[in-house]
Amino acid sequence: MRLRKLLVLIIGLMTAFALVAAACGNDGDDGGTTPSTAGQIESGGESGDGSQSAAGDEAPAGSVSGSVTISGSSTVEPISVRVAELFEDVQPDVHVTVDGPGTGDGFKLFCEGETDISGASRPIKDSEAETCAENGIEHVELRVGIDGIAVMTGESSPVECVTFNDIYGLVGPESTGFGSWADAGTLSGLATSSLPDADLDIYGPGEESGTFDSFVEIVLEDIADERGQDATTRPDYNANADDNVIIQGIQSGDTTFGWVGFAFAAHASGVKLLQVDGGGGCAGANADTIASGEYPVSRALYIYVNKAEAAENPALTAYVEYYLSDEGLGTAVSDVGYVTLADDAKGAARANWAGR
Amino acid sequence: MDVTDTRIDPAGELTVESLMANPRQARKERLIRDSLGATALVSVLISGLIIWSLFSEAWTFMVEVDWGAVWDIGWFPRRGIYDIKTLIAASLIITGIAMVVAGPLGLGAAIYLSEYARPGVRRTLKPILEILAGIPSVVLGFFALEWIAPNVVKTLFGGPAAGSLLAAGIGVGVLVIPLVASISEDAMKAVPMSLREASSGLGARKLTTTVRVVLPAAVSGLMAAFIVAVSRALGETMVVFMAGGAAQTAVYTHDPLDGSLTMTAGMTSLARGTDNVVGEGLTFQSLFFVGLVLFVVTFALNLVADRFVHRVREQY
Amino acid sequence: MAKARLIGDRTNKMMVQAMERRATDVRGRVFHVTLLVTLLISLFILAVLIVDVVIDSWGFLTGRPGGFLSGTMRSLSDDPKLGVHQALVGTFWIAVFVAVLAFPIGIGAAIWLEEYALKNWFTRFIELNIRNLAGVPSIVYGLLGLFLFVKSLEGLTGGKSIASAGITLAILVLPIVIITAQEAIRAVPQGLKEGAYGVGATKWTMIRSQVLPYAAPGIFTGTLLSMSRGIGEAAPLLLVGAVSGRLGSDSGFFDLSSVTAEHFMAMPVIIVEWVQNSGRDPGFAEAAAAAIVVLLVFVILMNAAAIILRNHFEKKRG
Repeated sequence: MRLRKLLVLIIGLMTAFALVAAACGNDGDDGGTTPSTAGQIESGGESGDGSQSAAGDEAPAGSVSGSVTISGSSTVEPISVRVAELFEDVQPDVHVTVDGPGTGDGFKLFCEGETDISGASRPIKDSEAETCAENGIEHVELRVGIDGIAVMTGESSPVECVTFNDIYGLVGPESTGFGSWADAGTLSGLATSSLPDADLDIYGPGEESGTFDSFVEIVLEDIADERGQDATTRPDYNANADDNVIIQGIQSGDTTFGWVGFAFAAHASGVKLLQVDGGGGCAGANADTIASGEYPVSRALYIYVNKAEAAENPALTAYVEYYLSDEGLGTAVSDVGYVTLADDAKGAARANWAGR
Repeated sequence: MDVTDTRIDPAGELTVESLMANPRQARKERLIRDSLGATALVSVLISGLIIWSLFSEAWTFMVEVDWGAVWDIGWFPRRGIYDIKTLIAASLIITGIAMVVAGPLGLGAAIYLSEYARPGVRRTLKPILEILAGIPSVVLGFFALEWIAPNVVKTLFGGPAAGSLLAAGIGVGVLVIPLVASISEDAMKAVPMSLREASSGLGARKLTTTVRVVLPAAVSGLMAAFIVAVSRALGETMVVFMAGGAAQTAVYTHDPLDGSLTMTAGMTSLARGTDNVVGEGLTFQSLFFVGLVLFVVTFALNLVADRFVHRVREQY
Repeated sequence: MAKARLIGDRTNKMMVQAMERRATDVRGRVFHVTLLVTLLISLFILAVLIVDVVIDSWGFLTGRPGGFLSGTMRSLSDDPKLGVHQALVGTFWIAVFVAVLAFPIGIGAAIWLEEYALKNWFTRFIELNIRNLAGVPSIVYGLLGLFLFVKSLEGLTGGKSIASAGITLAILVLPIVIITAQEAIRAVPQGLKEGAYGVGATKWTMIRSQVLPYAAPGIFTGTLLSMSRGIGEAAPLLLVGAVSGRLGSDSGFFDLSSVTAEHFMAMPVIIVEWVQNSGRDPGFAEAAAAAIVVLLVFVILMNAAAIILRNHFEKKRG
């Protein structure tokens, strides 16, 4: 009898728990509409703001439905995802799917008309634009944010400023096995600054991370191409997915070397952000130099929108307008750790969209 | 029950016909037997599919790979560097640490439950151990990373508060304690009471009886427990993936305080990362090559353990 | 010592007990205490684990009662809409696949092996094969799922879908279902079977009316254990492609089209996902702990039910 009671209790608890979960879930589905109507008024105003100044004539009144398909750069993916999350809160009937196979793959899909929006961590290439044109796909380019990467060393390191060549010599594909900063100068045909003969321990994100890709593409790719090497880093460094662990690693020595996304490094202590010389003189990393492009380890991030689709699909228009509002270019971009555009650049993006 | 169908002669005469099943009934019986047999064959089919899927891809890998890349500085599958010794070293370190934790704790618990615990105590403690056995490995991965690393690895061993082979190894150890305990306890329970009684009858103390009589008699079962635990630790994935302290790639190391990838964690992080397994030509196939190595090793261990268990059954 | 052999069992036992009671047996006591301590360490770890998870998750679970179960995956841990709903839906469907595929096949195989199979090399081979399958690491099942259901049979399963994941996990728990059901069926007394034959039952009638009812609690225990194993398993799901990143949209529990849709989430995978996110956003560690609490509620209750059930029937049937 005691057993039966216990079992009934346990099975009852499990069912109750499952029911609560299911009920809450349905609540979420139904409830999703209730708060969102409230949210809609609020953000209808906001996105109206953005679109009035930009598109003016076609501010979406009320709710829209439909779907939006996004692919492209894995670096832009988090922004589009964050925008989609916020957007679906106010427009629950729009389904946004976001994928991040890479900028090049994204353009392939985009120019075949498979996607509505393509994220890109570089402007579209002429060859890609031609493919698009051949397929009759017209696009509008919108700059949405800036990806900055902080290059760091230990707090009391003597090094202040490094060039792209220096970085290539320290962590590029030919530096495998280097244990000292001075080793970077031993690569033939690579002009480096005079680096100290000090221990070199390297910490950075792993290959799976968007920051790794950005770092390779901004700093190493061109030099590697010139020297006939694969565009990648040396394999033998401390790779970690956890930015905190990377920062701790860089803190752990005087002459360590490492890199993480700027937003994460900005409030780290015990590390020194190196100035970087990308050909235009040494520049330190801060929000202003990154926004202006003066700090060289940074790049603009774009989305490309299919014009014809935008004319037909109100969900797509509404999404892009939300993207260009302050929730998108401001909140979402900084939420996921990128640097927001300067005000005039935001204005330029909105004007681009309005004048499509 | 369907027994009215037998054709007993109304006169009470028993004929040969009356002992034969009704043909429809017999067909139904055969159908049931055959479909049940087919469900039993599903397991054979599954084994076949596992071996086929592992071999077909791993074969491509073994034929086409540059074997210099299989013995290199580390595991970088997306760059075409597939150093298997990095993964094997990490797997062995994790397994070693796990057995150092689980061996004594599991065996001690088993001896206590089998030889010392009063029935009431046993009824309370054993279920709790069984609950521990049911904890999903992701939970232990979280625990290894968030609690074992800062509180055990850092304070006792001066290692990192983040993931490391040591943290993951201890986590895997905790995971296999119940396994060691349960198989060992079964082995000791299988030792006939008469052996213990004979020992006590000769005036041996409980300690002597346990250590000199019960344990040696149960040794095959204890070996089986140990081997099954090793096989389980080698195959454990999530704890190592979450708390092993490496992301995607690993440079060869044999320092337990470093982070590295085991065979299982290497496969998981390769298959994950982005949405697809992309990279150099053989990256996808390398998954199956590592899987095949792991499968062969655990398969051999399981077979050996199975022999030992059988020996226990035959002995008593 | 030599005298002990000359006296009766009862006296002997009393003497042995008296000897054991003597405080002089320090080594015996130390051994006893050491053993108890090893067991208590394991229980202590379990307690620490649960307390640690509950403490870590406390803010999350109390801060948003109900909301956590209906919320979805979000980019930020302090997003008020963050929650496990998509993962619950995924795990629900995985459980359905396990129940629909693994339970009937597993129980059927167990009946055949115990009641129909001849004791020959072929049966022994199948049984050995099942024991080996039970010992195959879960990630190898993930490779099977990746090769077979995600790549080869993409047209049927939808690729990296909940269907691929569900079938893979059903295959993973199948050996456990078979082995536990076999043990339950083996325990059915021979007399019951002979009784049924005696009144003219056919084999299947005998199995249906005698064997299955008697073995039902044991079989049920096995299915509970395998279900709890199935919903807690993460490694194969990562290989079969539980998504990292954004899910298309949040579907309800009973939306059939979601079963073959590309991308899915499940409870154990969301825990992994959030633990990894905690590298850039430490709040996700708490979210992961909260998801663990939700998963553990199911897993521990299922295990507890299985253990209680088994102990009860073991005792009753001696």
